[in-house]
Amino acid sequence: MEPPSQITANAVAPWSRPVFLVPVFGLVSVVGGLFPSFSLEANLYVLAIGGVMTWLGLSGRLPRRPESRRLGAGAAWWLVPALLLALVELVSAIYDSTPAHPTISLLLDPILDLYLARAIAYFLWLGAFWSLVRR
Amino acid sequence: MSVSRLVTIGLFLTGAALLGALELASRREGSRIPPLGELAGLVLRYRSGRLPVGRIAMYGFWWWLGWHFFAR
Repeated sequence: MEPPSQITANAVAPWSRPVFLVPVFGLVSVVGGLFPSFSLEANLYVLAIGGVMTWLGLSGRLPRRPESRRLGAGAAWWLVPALLLALVELVSAIYDSTPAHPTISLLLDPILDLYLARAIAYFLWLGAFWSLVRR
Repeated sequence: MSVSRLVTIGLFLTGAALLGALELASRREGSRIPPLGELAGLVLRYRSGRLPVGRIAMYGFWWWLGWHFFAR
């Protein structure tokens, strides 16, 4: 295994390493899971987290992962699940998201009412947000 | 449980399973399918002049998604 280059080693801030970020995201998720939907706390919390992430992503303060390759025609495969999910969601929305035609939100709401599921979902959302910021 | 509800849930699960299958397929040696992260990277790099349109759109969408599920 090759040692990391000097540029890479210098570019990555210590606080942006997984050993620091995973516990921080865990703590943020554990707290975020406490706030119920429609509460002022939940709104302010998501607003603050999204604001920090967006600022980090747009300010260019963090080094970005290098582009690995050019995308080819194989990328079109991603349209299959994307269009399927979008179509089902659209049809359910047209039916006003009833129990007979539920949207993803209606299906996930009872699950996200459970603290553990909510905290895990927070963690996944944060992790994906971070991944977008670093790209 | 109504048939339409079962079909709807089944289609959502199919879509989710396809996403997982494609991500797995993309990680095989020599795969022509790019991982979802690379696709996101392509959108993120899209600019209109000096405006990082792709980043604004992707961060905005992901921010909204979090607000939609955790706050609204």
